[in-house]
Amino acid sequence: MVGRRIEKSIQRGQPFEIEADGKKIVAYQGETVATALIAAGLRTFRRTVDKNEPRGMFCGIGLCFECRMVINGVPNTRACQTLATPGCRIETQEGRGPLEDFG
Amino acid sequence: MKDIELLIIGAGPAGLAATIEAVRAGVSVTMMDENPRVGGQIFRQLHDGFVATDPKALGHDYRRGQILLAEFESVKSRVNYLEGALVWGIFENNEVAILRGENSRSVRFGKLIISSGAYDRPVPFPGWTLPGVFTAGGAQSLVKTQRVMPGENMLLVGSGPLQLALANQIADAGGKVVAVVEAGRIENWSKLARASWGRWTLLADAARYGWGIRKAKIPLLRNHIILEARGIEQVEEAVVAEVDTDWRPKSGSERVFTVDTVAVGYGFVPSVELALMAGCDLRYEPLLGGWIPVRDENMKTNLPDVYAVGDCAGVAGSLVAIDEGRIAGLAAARALNRLPETATQQRMRPCRKRLTALNRFRAVLDAISLPRPGLHELSRDDTIICRCREIPLKEIKKALQEGATDLNEIKRRIGIGMGPCQGRMCGPPLLEIAAGEKKEPPTNFGYLNPRPPLKPVPLSVLADHAEL
Repeated sequence: MVGRRIEKSIQRGQPFEIEADGKKIVAYQGETVATALIAAGLRTFRRTVDKNEPRGMFCGIGLCFECRMVINGVPNTRACQTLATPGCRIETQEGRGPLEDFG
Repeated sequence: MKDIELLIIGAGPAGLAATIEAVRAGVSVTMMDENPRVGGQIFRQLHDGFVATDPKALGHDYRRGQILLAEFESVKSRVNYLEGALVWGIFENNEVAILRGENSRSVRFGKLIISSGAYDRPVPFPGWTLPGVFTAGGAQSLVKTQRVMPGENMLLVGSGPLQLALANQIADAGGKVVAVVEAGRIENWSKLARASWGRWTLLADAARYGWGIRKAKIPLLRNHIILEARGIEQVEEAVVAEVDTDWRPKSGSERVFTVDTVAVGYGFVPSVELALMAGCDLRYEPLLGGWIPVRDENMKTNLPDVYAVGDCAGVAGSLVAIDEGRIAGLAAARALNRLPETATQQRMRPCRKRLTALNRFRAVLDAISLPRPGLHELSRDDTIICRCREIPLKEIKKALQEGATDLNEIKRRIGIGMGPCQGRMCGPPLLEIAAGEKKEPPTNFGYLNPRPPLKPVPLSVLADHAEL
């Protein structure tokens, strides 16, 4: 597994479960969705529209929009700017996301 | 529409310092930031839920930040702070459109101080879009404030002292840095020492970082650059080569590292979108990160009511940002008739003195870590330059061959810079690519003009935009 939490110098908040592509993973209060995914070893947050390439977190400050995912059903939500909340549902965004089906 | 005496956009070091001085002078200040907490990227505070048990381990910036934040705390009750507020447009007659949650509305400012900061310079190279490649700032935000390791085996590539700082933070937290790959010539410490006379904190930082990575036995490759990241679903290896003084690789010097993570930090570029949208004139200054607003000695732009401070007006770090912020806060207070001229000058004097000393140090550091031409020649024809719209280098070359003469014309022809990042990632490399291809100075190609909304805003919210 690639990512892991650092315990040194910090005390984390309460742990809770969230759902990533149907799989239960743990997040802690104060963590972003991106952090919880990386800590669970998950790095591909979306696949691109044209070439279906994997993309993950890049800039980490909400500028590059590479980490956009479907969070609680809302596509194009930035995982690095969204705090994880108990029970939130996260899905890898395929292309433009589910809304294009309605277009 | 609500009138605001002084609006300050950005609650990083520059915005905080401007707020502190203006409020002390009696100005009614509204400060806003996209993030829930003040501090900006460098003094980023921990989210609710995290408690620092050893603030020392969170870095020197974190502790320096605590001092400024304490100063802000003493005036906070007199500040109207809008957290989680995004500016998506600046229009005529000092109107600013602000999005908060699901609500959008306009306000009118008397004076405006823009302190929108900077972000990691985007540097395209084959494989830079793979999961596992982070900007140095992105990797640092994970380690410093979210306390998660970005990966198992990490390669730090770039130039300047910040990647040494990151290597230290990773090593201190028990992570593994395979190597630090430094493109610049940082062996010239004695020159740096002379320039930083009187700025011991900065020199001490640099020395401490150098010592720290030796202690952690992290190899430091000087005059080396990353050529490529390889992998299918994520980074599996990185190709690194030795470079000449122009940062062009020496053939035969390539070596391959097995890594799952690459953090890329070639300095920063100023966030000038807000200044541009306000109508500020820009000038091109490579040593300060590229295009920056033109300013006078009081940090005022060419517009009578608009100031720009900190990294968004020239990348120079948090210490410079703080004193620029103080000067602009005082200048705005003076312009608003809240402070007499003598008191204004008196309060500005120590700030100007510190800035002079800092600028001397910075000039040397900038000269060492300023990107050289080779950094902009790493992409191949099929390397993605515009990450949002998956536009490769060859399409940019084609647009240039077919007669595009500036960045906005390239944008119109191939749609580069029109994705959700609004050209923040592709704009800086596009400028370098155009200049390199046409063998002309970058100033000939201008900059991508931002259009509102500056960041994606749902249409339903725009439809309900209130001109209160």
